[in-house]
Amino acid sequence: MYFNASDVTSFMAQKEFIDTAIVPLVSVDLTPEKMKQSGTEADFLLSLTSFIEQQFKGRLLLMPPFSSSATLKNEDLPKQLEAQLHNAGFKHVFFITCDHFWTNIGEEVNVIWLPAIPLESMDRGVKNSILEDQLRQVIPMLSTKWAQI
Amino acid sequence: MSNNRVSRRQFLSYTLTGVGGFMAAGMLMPMLRFAIDPVLQSHAGGNFIKTEHKIADITEKPVKVDLKFEQVDAWYKSEVTNVAWVFKQGDQIVALSPVCKHLGCMVDWGSDSTHPDQFFCSCHGGRYEKNGNNVKGTPPLGPLDEYEVKEEDGYLSLGPIRANTLVK
Repeated sequence: MYFNASDVTSFMAQKEFIDTAIVPLVSVDLTPEKMKQSGTEADFLLSLTSFIEQQFKGRLLLMPPFSSSATLKNEDLPKQLEAQLHNAGFKHVFFITCDHFWTNIGEEVNVIWLPAIPLESMDRGVKNSILEDQLRQVIPMLSTKWAQI
Repeated sequence: MSNNRVSRRQFLSYTLTGVGGFMAAGMLMPMLRFAIDPVLQSHAGGNFIKTEHKIADITEKPVKVDLKFEQVDAWYKSEVTNVAWVFKQGDQIVALSPVCKHLGCMVDWGSDSTHPDQFFCSCHGGRYEKNGNNVKGTPPLGPLDEYEVKEEDGYLSLGPIRANTLVK
């Protein structure tokens, strides 16, 4: 499910089935040497999360990406967001990012870190198979949490 | 000089008939074209999309077949890849939509080790038999949808999605 009116309506109606929230954490780096890399990361992360959404549409809600630049990064953001999502009825909250900044809070919240793969130069077939490979990395993390309940 | 000289009266009447004919045709042709237009129109939605999968390669074991087409959302064009589960049932080729009828996840063939001959939805454990029929007692409420299937130069073509016709 996406965070839009029609999907949120079905989420409200099917709350017992949609128990997982996925939050992409995007880092926006505006220094000239890192800006392009930052764009690659954002592109990769959004492509991958939409692919995850497509595969597990009925189980999870993909939140809009939470973006922050270097000075706005705050370790409290995922923690607070997680608490609010738990209150809203999500049993599982996953943060997905390509930025190492968030990995050190991995003990308190579920952070999935993935290396950004530059997708811009690939044709569609390669892109899809890369995303499928990456999805296979993510599925075990989701399913172990889902199995715990 | 020839005997049948064209008189002034004849010349004028020929010219008038000719010009009048052109004018009448200029008015009637567009009318006619508009009148028969609905017949000539190709049916939107009835488009078959050719896949890269050969008919000869299809076996009784369901395989994933990619289906690429361009989708236009207002001004935003994107290429979308859909998937179909394709297999042979007797002589008939069947292409099932992978979208779970419960809440729209992607189902997988045989990924549940306890039921290797069924479609399985990993979101909420929904199961379907090979013909797409939903297994009672699992969350889905209806059978998997089906693509219309056509052969094109030995390759598989998939058409619009319709309700499952295999489940009686």
